[in-house]
Amino acid sequence: MLRAAGLVKSYRAPAGTPIRVLAGVDLTVKGGEIAVVTGPSGSGKSTLLNVLGLLEDGDGGEIWFEDTRVSALGRAAKSRARGRYVGFLFQSFLLLPSLTALENVLLAARYVHRSGPATRRRAIGLMQEVGVADRMDHFPAQLSGGEQQRVAFCRAVLNDPPLLLADEPTGNLDDANGAVILDALRGRARAGVAVVVVSHRPEAAVGASALYRLRGGVLESP
Amino acid sequence: MRSLRVLRGYLFTVLGIAIGVAGLVALGAMSERIVRFIEGGDRFVLGQISVAGRGMGMGTGFTAGGILPAATIRAISEVPGVQGVQAQIMLPLDPSTSQFMTVTQELVLGMDLSVPTPNRHYRTLPVRSGRFLRQGDHKVAVVGASFAASRGLSVGSHLMLEDEGYEVVGVLDRMLTAPDRFVMVSIDDARAQWVAKDRLLRTVLASGGMALTASDLNTGAAVGWRDGDDPDAVALRIKERVPGVNVQLPSELSRLLRSSTAFFSALLIGIGALAFVIGGLSLANTMAAAVFERIRDFGVKRALGATDLQLGREVLAESLAVTMVGGLGGIGLARALGWFIDRYLAQAQQLFHFSPRLLVGALAFSILLGAAAAIYATARVVSLSPAEAIRRGA
Repeated sequence: MLRAAGLVKSYRAPAGTPIRVLAGVDLTVKGGEIAVVTGPSGSGKSTLLNVLGLLEDGDGGEIWFEDTRVSALGRAAKSRARGRYVGFLFQSFLLLPSLTALENVLLAARYVHRSGPATRRRAIGLMQEVGVADRMDHFPAQLSGGEQQRVAFCRAVLNDPPLLLADEPTGNLDDANGAVILDALRGRARAGVAVVVVSHRPEAAVGASALYRLRGGVLESP
Repeated sequence: MRSLRVLRGYLFTVLGIAIGVAGLVALGAMSERIVRFIEGGDRFVLGQISVAGRGMGMGTGFTAGGILPAATIRAISEVPGVQGVQAQIMLPLDPSTSQFMTVTQELVLGMDLSVPTPNRHYRTLPVRSGRFLRQGDHKVAVVGASFAASRGLSVGSHLMLEDEGYEVVGVLDRMLTAPDRFVMVSIDDARAQWVAKDRLLRTVLASGGMALTASDLNTGAAVGWRDGDDPDAVALRIKERVPGVNVQLPSELSRLLRSSTAFFSALLIGIGALAFVIGGLSLANTMAAAVFERIRDFGVKRALGATDLQLGREVLAESLAVTMVGGLGGIGLARALGWFIDRYLAQAQQLFHFSPRLLVGALAFSILLGAAAAIYATARVVSLSPAEAIRRGA
């Protein structure tokens, strides 16, 4: 499902000197697999996930979603590819504060033109699966961290994307809520979705198909 | 329901826009008020040839002055091209105070009601309640809207003019020009007031030094012209053929009026420019800030697959709704402010005129500027990568 080859990314320090974060990352994740990337804070894990998910451009390398070389697409096509192929789960949930929990979930469908009664039913069904259906009319500020991440999970999977990218998905959660989210991700993998998780928590590696450590801008198998 | 929530999310933006638009509309309404006053005067002087008796009163229709005897009025009416001459008297209501500011001047206007009003642009004056003057009226008055409001007068009220009681039989509509502050009476009543006001005139009449009858006591005349005649040419003809008069060419008087109000015109342009700059900047800044505040939301939406076009459409729709609500709120705020000032602070003068063109223009201006500011801000935000937008908004 996901194939990345030779990904390179540098940032410029305030003094102007380039800082190489990714120095030729190769990664392949098939449908049904979970790839877990670990590494110390500042090692470039989030940058890798952003580049893989087309949230920012790399300086070099190629990314393929299925048979499409998405790294070569234009801005609008990349946006459409994100909507079609990728579901994101962020450490800080990134729910829109002005929308209710249900509206946040449905937001994922709005930009891929899937809005409708069936989508709404599916969104509510997903929220029931993860135990937040009774909070569907609440705003993010009225939800606990665990509830917010479960809502964010529902948003990430609403469109049935073949690829899930999770950036420290349990970073702001207690152990119980973290376990719920990790279980939900494993469940998606069992359903055939390719999952990439970056995390520094050891429990994220449980059930992983492949475990990597990002060091010096390249992925290493521990 | 969701639309209301979206607007509630923009509450401070709406308030900011409302305040900017209120400033724009209030300043604009003051400009419109002065424009209407100047336009009204211009329309008046272009509708008739104004003739005064040669003497102190050079501007007939604005002060008491040189006498225009009945024989001179007859001579004017015989000039080729002239159609209708109405003897008039204009007196300052209070001659003891300076009347240099005609914007606030209160005048007594006496008209010879046996002759139809020759002014082509003011054949009749609009009466809000009661009736206009009729031939044969005595000790009755028709008052302008501001005059009535400042004294609490209505039809049936009484007012004292030179120690004589007058019954108010009519109140004019607000015209936003000079007649708003007029007291109109029959010419005979105005003559009596003139004599009562002017000690020099009383002395002259008592001395018998001038052979004057009551019908000679006129400060000026409004002169009409036949259809197809050039009013300036008729005025020049009066000047050539009738001695002892000051004749104002309508076009020249209009030019004089405009040049004498050039200061106001410049002031209006200044006020208008200032209103546009201040109101516009406030509005554009508020709208752009509202979009920049949502930078993280834009990042999230792009992560979910929104294209630049989809986001642009979304922001445009929201900005249109927000500026529309803010603009309407601003108009309401300005109107409330204008009402309060006119009602309680302006002593019955109308300082604001909220013309339809001003309100529509202000609303269109705010919507277009708000949309432009929102689109500009959105273009800036979407030029960032989604990851960068999320980082900056965190």
